Amino acid sequence: MIDLLKGIKYVGSGVTLTLELLTGAFIIGFVLGGIFSIARRTRVGRPIVSGIVSVLRGTPVLLQLSVIFFTSASLTGIKLSILSAGIVTFGINSAAYVSEIFRSGIESLPRGQFEACQTLEIPRYHTWLRIILPQVFLNTLPSLINEMVALLKETAVVGMIGGMDITRSAQALAAEHYEYFIPLCIAGSYYYVLVMIIEWIGRKIEKKRVYT
Amino acid sequence: MKKNACILRLTDVSKTFGEMNVLNSVNIEIKAGNIVGVVGPSGGGKSTLLRCIQGLESIDSGKIEKYGRTGFMFQDFQLFPHMTVLRNLTFAPLVRSIAYTSELGITDKREAKNYIENEAMQLLRTLWIDHKASAYPSSLSGGQKQRVALARSLMMKPNILLCDEPTSGLDQTTSAEVASLLNKVNTDSGITILIASHDREFLKLVSNTIIPIGTAGDGTSPGHSTT
Ligand SMILES: Nc1ncnc2c1ncn2[C@@H]1O[C@H](COP(=O)(O)OP(=O)(O)OP(=O)(O)O)[C@@H](O)[C@H]1O
Ligand SMILES: [Mg+2]
Repeated sequence: MIDLLKGIKYVGSGVTLTLELLTGAFIIGFVLGGIFSIARRTRVGRPIVSGIVSVLRGTPVLLQLSVIFFTSASLTGIKLSILSAGIVTFGINSAAYVSEIFRSGIESLPRGQFEACQTLEIPRYHTWLRIILPQVFLNTLPSLINEMVALLKETAVVGMIGGMDITRSAQALAAEHYEYFIPLCIAGSYYYVLVMIIEWIGRKIEKKRVYT
Repeated sequence: MKKNACILRLTDVSKTFGEMNVLNSVNIEIKAGNIVGVVGPSGGGKSTLLRCIQGLESIDSGKIEKYGRTGFMFQDFQLFPHMTVLRNLTFAPLVRSIAYTSELGITDKREAKNYIENEAMQLLRTLWIDHKASAYPSSLSGGQKQRVALARSLMMKPNILLCDEPTSGLDQTTSAEVASLLNKVNTDSGITILIASHDREFLKLVSNTIIPIGTAGDGTSPGHSTT
C-alpha cells in the first residue's frame, strides 16, 4: 500500500511545473491571442493568422511540443528546456483558441463603439487598448476561463518529453509501487482543486464588472 | 463662426447601398447658428445622411463641404459601458490632450487633466447630470444617457452637432427637456445643430427649419433646401 500522505507530497512536487506551464502559457496565449485577433482584421494579417490558427488547431499538441522540444536546437541553435519548450508550445497553441474567442468577442461588440471612437478622434491604439479590448475581455471572460481550464489539463502532455508535472509524478509513483488507483486519484484531486481555484478567480473578476 | 455664413453645404450627394438608392442627389445648405431638422419615414435615409456628413459613410457622388468641426450623437448613444460618466467625457480629450490643450497654452499633463475634468464637470452641471458623474452608463435612464451623450459630443467643441434621433425611446416630457437643452446649447455657444428625427412635434419645438428627406414616394426627387 502507498502511504497516502507521502503520495500526496510526491505527486504534489509536480504542481510547481504544472503551474509554471499554465501561467507562462496563459500569458503568452492571452497576449499573442490578442495580437492575432487584431492582426486578423488587416488585409495582410488575415490569411497569415488564419493559416497559423488552422494548423495549430488541426494538429495534436503533443506533436507541436515534440517539434519545438526536439528540433529547436537543430533549427535555431537554441536548446530549450522542458519548461520553456512547454510554455512556448502551450502558449502558442492557446493563442490560437484565445484569438478565436477574442475574434467573436470583437465581432459581437456593436460597430457603434468603433464609430464613437472615430467621431471622438480617439487614436487607433487607444481605441483598441482602452475601449475595445477591455470590453471584449470582460464579455469573453467565461470562455477565457474555459480556455484556461483546458490549458491546465493540456499541460499534462509535458510528461511525454520528461517533464515531472502532476500527471507524470503520479505515474512515477504508480510505477514504483505497481499500484495505480491511489496516485491517479491524488493527481486528479490536484487538478480538480486547481480548476476550482481558476473558476473562483473568474467569478471574482466577473463580480468586479460593474456594468452589464 | 459668423452667424448666417454657410457652415455646411451638400451638393448633389448620392449614396446607394447595393441596389438601394438611399440618398438621391441631395442638396442642402445650412447657415451657422441654426437648428435644422431632417424628417422622413423610417428607412428614408436620415441616419445615412448624418453618417455621410460625419464621414462614417462614404458618398458615391456629390460634394460635402464642412466649415468647422462636427460632433455626432448616436441614436443608441454608444457610451462606453466600462467607463464612468465623467470618464466617458474626458477620455477622448485626455488621450488627445496635446492637440486639445495646446491651443490654450497648457503643456503640463496634470494641468491639462485638471482642465479637462473641470470642463467636463461644468458641462455635466449645465446639462443637470453632474450628480451622475461617477455612475456607469448602465445605471442611467434613457434621458440621462441622452444628456451624457450630448455632453460627450460637446467635449469635442464642435461647430456643427449632428444628432441622430435624439428623442427615440424618450417620453414627451423628456423629449421636451432634450429640446430645451439643445436650444440652450445653441444659444450659449452658437453651435449649429442638425437633427434627424421622425418626431415632427419635437422638431417643431427645436428647429427653425425642417428638411424632408426620402419622402416624395421613393425619395427619387432631389431635395433642394437652403436654410
Ligand atoms: N450599412 C448599410 N448597408 C446596407 N443598407 C443600409 C446600411 N445602412 C442603411 N441601409 C439602408 O438604407 C436605408 C436608409 O437607412 P437609414 O438608417 O438612413 O434610414 P433612417 O431614415 O435613419 O430610418 P430610421 O427612421 O428607421 O432610423 C434603409 O433601407 C437601410 O436598410
Ligand atoms: Mg435612423
